[in-house]
Amino acid sequence: MTVIEEKIKTEEATSWEPKILAFLCNWCSYAGADLAGISRLQYPPNIRVIRVPCSGRVNPFYLIKALQAGWDGVLVSGCHPGDCHYISGNLVARRRFAILKDIIEFMGIPPGRLNFSWVSAAEGEKFSKVVKEVVNKIKKLGPIKKLTKK
Amino acid sequence: MENLETSMRDIVKNLLNEQKVDLVIGYQKGTMPLRTTPCFVTKAEDSNKLVWNFCCDLNLIKYLLKDENKGKKVGLIVKGCDARALAVCISESQIEREKVIIIGMPCLGMLDRKKIEAEVAPKEILEARVTQDQIITKGKDFEHTLLKKDYIQPSCQACHYNNPPICNILVGNQPLELESAVDWDAKLAEFEAKPPEERWAYFTELLSGCIKCYACRNACPLCYCKECFVDQTQPQWVGKTTDIADVMFYHIVRALHVAGRCVGCGACTRACPMNIDLRLLSKKLEKIVKERYNFEAGLKTDEPPPMGTHTANDPQEFITEPE
Amino acid sequence: MKEKILLKAQLPKLIEELRKIYRVLAPVKDNGFYVYKAISSADEVDLDFANTKIPPKEIFFPRSEVLFTYKRTDNGIELIEPENSVEKQVILGIRGCDAQSFLLLDKFFAYGKFDDPYFAQRRKNTLLIGLACNDPRSTCFCTSVGGSPFSEAGMDIILTDLGDKYLVKSLNVKGNELLERIPWIEDANERDIFDAMQLTKKALAAIKEELPIEKLNNTFAEVFDEDAFWLQFSQKCIGCGSCSFLCPTCHCFDVVDEESSTGGKRIRLWDTCQFPLFTLHGSGHNPRPTGRQRLRQRVMHKFNYYPKILSEIGCVGCGRCILACSVNQDIRVVFKAVQES
Repeated sequence: MTVIEEKIKTEEATSWEPKILAFLCNWCSYAGADLAGISRLQYPPNIRVIRVPCSGRVNPFYLIKALQAGWDGVLVSGCHPGDCHYISGNLVARRRFAILKDIIEFMGIPPGRLNFSWVSAAEGEKFSKVVKEVVNKIKKLGPIKKLTKK
Repeated sequence: MENLETSMRDIVKNLLNEQKVDLVIGYQKGTMPLRTTPCFVTKAEDSNKLVWNFCCDLNLIKYLLKDENKGKKVGLIVKGCDARALAVCISESQIEREKVIIIGMPCLGMLDRKKIEAEVAPKEILEARVTQDQIITKGKDFEHTLLKKDYIQPSCQACHYNNPPICNILVGNQPLELESAVDWDAKLAEFEAKPPEERWAYFTELLSGCIKCYACRNACPLCYCKECFVDQTQPQWVGKTTDIADVMFYHIVRALHVAGRCVGCGACTRACPMNIDLRLLSKKLEKIVKERYNFEAGLKTDEPPPMGTHTANDPQEFITEPE
Repeated sequence: MKEKILLKAQLPKLIEELRKIYRVLAPVKDNGFYVYKAISSADEVDLDFANTKIPPKEIFFPRSEVLFTYKRTDNGIELIEPENSVEKQVILGIRGCDAQSFLLLDKFFAYGKFDDPYFAQRRKNTLLIGLACNDPRSTCFCTSVGGSPFSEAGMDIILTDLGDKYLVKSLNVKGNELLERIPWIEDANERDIFDAMQLTKKALAAIKEELPIEKLNNTFAEVFDEDAFWLQFSQKCIGCGSCSFLCPTCHCFDVVDEESSTGGKRIRLWDTCQFPLFTLHGSGHNPRPTGRQRLRQRVMHKFNYYPKILSEIGCVGCGRCILACSVNQDIRVVFKAVQES
């Protein structure tokens, strides 16, 4: 069993807390999350962050593999369209995520497992609100069962 | 049908005699009833081997992508769906437009051989004759007549492009009109109205028979990567077992990779040895791309595919925006 | 060797009694075709079939199987054997070609010197009840590879369909033991045995194709280097591997490890020589880089290397490859071409 699965097993036995994987782009969203931290803004501690240079770096494989490994949800956050540090990385990502979300939801994974947002470096408060919303959505959905591999 | 076949053979003969092509790829009679097999003609006198009938369902574009045929001038017999797949390959720079002479065949739909065989199973069909409205199947001690319109392949029933949208020559010069029998928009709407649990159950049930043979990928004219994601080991993306999680991963990702490029030719479904019908998913892919980016694959050879481009104003209703 | 009669109406009773002692696998209709499945009731069984889509090799050599799991501990790596114990099982309705395929698979997996324990254990715990073919398909060519529709090789009991009843013939000690467990089954009379013989003759006469495969043995070696010969077939092949996956004697496999930070598992999976990855070396070199060489390999392996090394033809003539191929590649056409070359 992976570490995640073991944790989930113990958590299910007690009171379950979702585990969410967050991909944050270095220039905007990661800085925004950092700002939330510096400003002492409270938000649920359920996310684990992976810093990427750009949301366009995020391969849809990572998101599906995360769900397969037992993560209850995924959040990908990048710069606002038009403000990407690499000019158009987030525009590429936007199309990719749209298609991925449509396909996954069509096949029956409930909306809420995959989440995407635009958070700039100055939007510490927005970041905390996004995380709160995502965690609440996933708490309602319960632990992930579909797609997970034994 | 016979006239089209004769005209097609004449055109091929001329092309080879005039040395306008090195090779012509078409269909010839198969070794069993209701089957055709690819025919590779290099000599004008062999053009009589080529056939055109209701069993010419294979997608021949795949052969243009093979290394042994790259660089040759090839004449290709295509239907509407094949021509669209070819257009996608040309727009992705996999095939050079000047090196292909597209011999377009107007198509009224191909027979669903597996459905016909299932109808008389476990008896074996030894002979089959197709007329205007009927399919007459004969076996060791039976004769069974079926209505042709009930045994047309589902992807053909929903087709709007029975005349190839791009071609050098349209054989017969008479575009045909086909009434779409299956309303896929309605089918998709009905499916999407179901709760997620039911939809997941449908797909896991559908793919429970998948043996991960990758025939769907091999038959697809748009799956031409030299190294497919399933074969990557560093890192290993998708497990190779038949665990349902691995099966779903493979099919989700293949759908993702052909999104905006899939033309619904049905080659994947035809190749599947386990009779898995992926058409609901491929129709959904077409719908997503049409609704979001107003794009239909395979109609032009100079348009970039939707996943290879972007605009500043793409729809983003799925982005989380807290109040 | 005892011959008995089982009325078709008695078949459910037999299956229920077998189920008390064994795990019973039988042909089941699923999504328009037949597969061998473990059944939970006699209603699921349909013996009115030609042959299954997936060959029964998967019962002994599963599509994917965990060989062992392992955990990383402070004291090193801990190996854990798989939990699945192999129950005693019966496969009902095996055709002669498939029974012969098990004997061929034995030569690869369980020939005594280095038995594959996973395969060997399943083989040991399985009893085979065969079903003779009254009605071979037009794609069957078992007689050309040393088999027959009424072949008994590899089976423990064979059933012959006589219309409203089956002739039941035990072929060895294992078969006799099973018959002793069902004493209510009646003895066959001479008329039944005569009827069965007539059916044998009829079935043999129905197989029209006689492919001189044994004679072609050496001719295959002669055409080995003729690129144009193989190209006429490989040019239409799309390399999907369906032929090898659905072949009852194809046995190549891949072993992969699926790992996480705490441990993992080692899995054996079906593989096919038709995929370029099959012979790809770590250096990047591939001794069979083109489809032409891979197609040649498959044909040579079955019809030239096997006879040379094991004195057996590596094909049982079931015709599944012909039925499965989506581009209508036909091994019988290959033989005819070899004959003419």
